[in-house]
Amino acid sequence: MGRDKYLPLTETVYYILLALHEPAHGYLILQKVEELSGGQVRMAAGTLYGAIENLIKLRFIEPVGTVDNRRKVYVITEEGRAVMFRDYERMNHMMEITRRIWNSDGREPHAEM
Amino acid sequence: MRKCKCFTNLEHEEKWLNDMAGRGWRFVRKSLFSYEFHEAVPEVGRIKIDYRAFVKKEDFEDYRALFEDSGWKHIQGSKSSGYQYFKMVNDQGSEDIFSDADSKAGRYKRLSEMWFSISLSFFPIIVALMSTGTLKPAALLDPEALYLTPGLWEKTGVGFWRAFLFETPFALLRGLSAWLLPLVIMLYLIFAFKANRQYKRSQGEGLSD
Repeated sequence: MGRDKYLPLTETVYYILLALHEPAHGYLILQKVEELSGGQVRMAAGTLYGAIENLIKLRFIEPVGTVDNRRKVYVITEEGRAVMFRDYERMNHMMEITRRIWNSDGREPHAEM
Repeated sequence: MRKCKCFTNLEHEEKWLNDMAGRGWRFVRKSLFSYEFHEAVPEVGRIKIDYRAFVKKEDFEDYRALFEDSGWKHIQGSKSSGYQYFKMVNDQGSEDIFSDADSKAGRYKRLSEMWFSISLSFFPIIVALMSTGTLKPAALLDPEALYLTPGLWEKTGVGFWRAFLFETPFALLRGLSAWLLPLVIMLYLIFAFKANRQYKRSQGEGLSD
């Protein structure tokens, strides 16, 4: 079986999809991504706009109306949820296998790293 | 004040506009290659340029709203102008309108595609002009063919020179118009090539400019 061509999702794409589990307009997505990532991912407007355009093309998100007739509101699609789930499983596997190896050699790195 | 300049590099254009702001010239308007400035209090220039053209008005509005919300005021550009100028008006926002090297380079990709498609759109015109005989390929290479006076080249002496000099301005005009389209196409292809090279280059770079 060939590997899923959409995986791995980039960190920003993953957070955008996560943010769009509830409908949101552009700036709200920026704020949610920053919040969900614990302040780690701060996107600029031009970068987010390009990402939104791309995700619409891939049908991972879709526009659902506007607020104040100007700001478009987007939400994740079923395909978007499916690809996120596959990426979640992928990361989950990485974490499980890593933990198993760290546990077996008894030298788990701690937070001081 | 008006200044004429032509940039193929967006970073250079940004820097120039911001230097002008630093010297007390506020950028107000751009038309083709001419920039209009008003005298103002010198300030740290915070202008950034994106390249993006829109088909639908709603998309253009959504785009501008997103930048506004993020502290970037749209100061110049229309739905289909492609070049979009933004000025930072809120220190809380991001330092740049892009937060990764890929998306920052992406504007050069769109710019290059635009120049390329414009130059392609001229080819059918050339073919049409050639097939109707309006544009003769021979005229590009053979200057004598530009002179239409019957028997001109058989004339001698003063008679030749008088007829020759009389027709030269018209011949030049004919020659120039024959060369115009190929030259314009070449120019646009060069722009497309330069933008594409800039795209490749800035993809490999970090975000520091």
